[in-house]
Amino acid sequence: MIKTRMNVVYASNIKLLFRRLGPFMGLIAIFAAGVFLNGSTFLNLYNQLNVLGRISIIALPAVGMTLVILTAGIDLSVGSMVSLSSVVCAMLLMERTWTKATSIAVPVFVFLCLVIAFTLTKRFLRRHISNSKVVSLFSLIVGSSIGFMVFLLMSRQVATGFKTLTVLLVVPVLGLGLGTLTGAVIAKGKIQPFIVTLGMMSGAVGLAKFIAGKGGQIHPIYYQATGYTAEGTTQMAPQSFDMLSGKIALFGMDLFPITGLFFLAAVLIVHFILTRLRLGRHIYAIGGNELTARLSGVRVERVKILVYGISGGLSALAGVLYCASYTQGKPDAGATWELDAIAAVVIGGTSLMGGRGTVLGTMVGVLILGYLSNILNLQEVPSEVQDILKGIIIIGAVLLQEGAVVRWFRRLKK
Amino acid sequence: MRGIPKHSQSRSESLVRMKSIVKAFSGVRVLHGVDFEVRRGEIMALMGENGAGKSTLMKILVGVYDDWEGRISIDETERRFTDTREAEKAGIAIMYQEINMVPELTVAENIFLGREPCTWGGCVDYIQMNRMAESILADLHFTVPVTTPVSQLRVGLQQLVEIGKALSLNARVVIMDEPTSALSKREIETLFSVIEKLKSRNVSVIYISHRIGEVFRVADRVTVLRDGRTVDIKHVEDLNRQDLIGMMVGRRFDQFFVKEGHPEDDVVMRVEHLTRIQPNRQGKPLIEDVSFELKRGEQLGIAGLLGAGRTELLEALFGVDSENTTGTVEIEGKAVHFSHPHHAMDAGMGLITEDRKGSGLVLGMSVEHNMTLAALKAILTFIFISRKKERNLSKAYMNRLSINVPDLDNPIDTLSGGNQQKVLLAKWLAIHPKILLLDEPTRGIDVGAKHEIYLLLSKLVKQGISIVIASSELTELLSLCDRIMVLREGKLSAIFSRDEATQEKIMEAAAPVG
Repeated sequence: MIKTRMNVVYASNIKLLFRRLGPFMGLIAIFAAGVFLNGSTFLNLYNQLNVLGRISIIALPAVGMTLVILTAGIDLSVGSMVSLSSVVCAMLLMERTWTKATSIAVPVFVFLCLVIAFTLTKRFLRRHISNSKVVSLFSLIVGSSIGFMVFLLMSRQVATGFKTLTVLLVVPVLGLGLGTLTGAVIAKGKIQPFIVTLGMMSGAVGLAKFIAGKGGQIHPIYYQATGYTAEGTTQMAPQSFDMLSGKIALFGMDLFPITGLFFLAAVLIVHFILTRLRLGRHIYAIGGNELTARLSGVRVERVKILVYGISGGLSALAGVLYCASYTQGKPDAGATWELDAIAAVVIGGTSLMGGRGTVLGTMVGVLILGYLSNILNLQEVPSEVQDILKGIIIIGAVLLQEGAVVRWFRRLKK
Repeated sequence: MRGIPKHSQSRSESLVRMKSIVKAFSGVRVLHGVDFEVRRGEIMALMGENGAGKSTLMKILVGVYDDWEGRISIDETERRFTDTREAEKAGIAIMYQEINMVPELTVAENIFLGREPCTWGGCVDYIQMNRMAESILADLHFTVPVTTPVSQLRVGLQQLVEIGKALSLNARVVIMDEPTSALSKREIETLFSVIEKLKSRNVSVIYISHRIGEVFRVADRVTVLRDGRTVDIKHVEDLNRQDLIGMMVGRRFDQFFVKEGHPEDDVVMRVEHLTRIQPNRQGKPLIEDVSFELKRGEQLGIAGLLGAGRTELLEALFGVDSENTTGTVEIEGKAVHFSHPHHAMDAGMGLITEDRKGSGLVLGMSVEHNMTLAALKAILTFIFISRKKERNLSKAYMNRLSINVPDLDNPIDTLSGGNQQKVLLAKWLAIHPKILLLDEPTRGIDVGAKHEIYLLLSKLVKQGISIVIASSELTELLSLCDRIMVLREGKLSAIFSRDEATQEKIMEAAAPVG
């Protein structure tokens, strides 16, 4: 056998290094800047956990966005999804009868439960029974009876008021449903994600305003303890919902924000999906080369639908947490959040072309943005200037990662 | 008005001379002092295995790379280009392997892209531009209107446009990197006549190709590179095929590959009346009423001209375009219908596509991840990807196919074409296929790797895997296959057994009627 000579085209190592470690170096740099500028005010545990609390809600859509961007897509609807779900969440908690919010959220939830029960049963049965008609019929019966049971449970809560756990389940599922819809249109209709999610962005905000009523009014949340009574409502939100905005005691002080737990959990789960599940490998493959992925047996459409579904679900979860933190549902709660999410993903080193990036990078990206605004706030920089600086940081980060700065530097040296 | 430029200087003086060129990527030398020379009006073939440094050398010449050592002189004056525009100004134009044009723009717009003739108001002077384009292309027997968008042209014609562009630059040297790899036989003939014409106008051509036959046809002299060194520069008349291959690989091939063994008798796949219509449901079908059988352990070749439906047939078998495909396929006596490639994979079929980068590999992924992409099921523990199982699997195939890679975590695009092709083979062997469909399995890879892949295929066949190979290289099919079926305009025109098949018979069956 002839030995072919090994032929390695040496990619620019510096570029690779920048891409991989760039986000972390950026984080260290901005942390150092914080220490340098604000000293112990910045460094103390209270401030650090405060930053974590602030970024945690907006980080959830960014985590979902990472998956979408890895498939070379984009999801512009995450901000609207936050708005919509914050409104739905507030209304579910505060109103007892069938309102617009319940009549949208409950059927979607019931329907999705039905579909999931149906598919799971079908999958299970197909292994044991070969007759496909029997399988379908039986799964349909199982699915619809589970759907009906869920509906009964739900309508009881409509009358008695929604519990915190139910809200935490129903609202994200609503987002999951809408995200799945977006994904289905993108995957089956072969339409560019930019356009479809742009449509969903507008549609979801419209829906939020419609549900909120009176041209998009704010829905505040009241708890028994505060002693206030909302006008026209008889309902108080369950006290447990307030806990979502609370903190866990650490060293005898209420320090660690609960929203931070959601953030960390989301990052860990998605990281696990990306590194250890077939789904993750398929996501990278689709973003790297969709045709290759398809020809390697990846069910591209299914993966895409799922990814947009996850993005919608995480955004809706962010809406619930927003509702708890700001004690209100607001039809423009998540306005422009999609841009922050994209910025965090990009700063975190994920390529907008898909196929390259990590969710840990996104976490770093979110932290960089969070520290930036924290430092500037501590320095009492006005918010307009903050926005300008943020813009510069976003573009600068990408220039660094793409190695442009290294190239310029090399050229200057000559 | 500019036509094909005429250069009056005498023929034998040297136009481009590169001396002791040294180039390193990240500290690793890939060129160790290469010498190269082209004379006026000369067709100089540049040959060597993949990774020998041909493309690197040419990229240095036209200024893509600017960090190298050595000397380049053009017209006896020393030059050092820092980008391709400077090289173009000095009369050196390059046609890359992949066609480099804007598909939506017209022929004329592509030729003059970035240098459009303008009226005094700054608007593009389309009348002038089209007229100039026409006069350039007329000499190349290019008969399509210059206002046609390039996307509507076939590859062969697109290449003529590239040549036209080079001429419009007043090029004195045209570098052609594997110009024939996507051309049909007739288009290759046209290209050769154009090259002859260029030569008669005293334009020099640097011709890079893996196809030895072509080099003997067109070239005056041959420069052979091996491992970043110039092996020899020779006149074509002083060489024969064996010598040339020997110079390229560093040893002589005593003979070309000869297949051993015979297929078994039982039929693995039976295809009947397979028809695939075009996606827009108009025009002639891509595949029409094709029926054949594939035996266990058989190597079945598919021959045919470009556009005869070789690729389309393999795709149809693999369930790529099931909405537009009709006909019956039986695998081991069971009727199957694949509506997605993963169904085909479950039935034990694998497809290695002709376009390694476009539809075979995921370029951003590591070697290992590319290798296991189709067989992730095999490396799961419960539902989690087991890194240990993954590493074991990829190591096993790395050794079995002797894939040359320092680290499985390296990005796949750091490998040579031959090794990439072996990774693709590994990827599909990992699903334990019964039937392997291969489309142009040795395109663009060097002689040594080719030979290795032939050996591998014959080993696989002995293990009972059936192989279908579509190829445009007849010698490859003739030496590898037990039977060769010939496609003509989507229809099956003939099936030859190994003993019957000759190049002439196949070409005759493949040539369009009338």
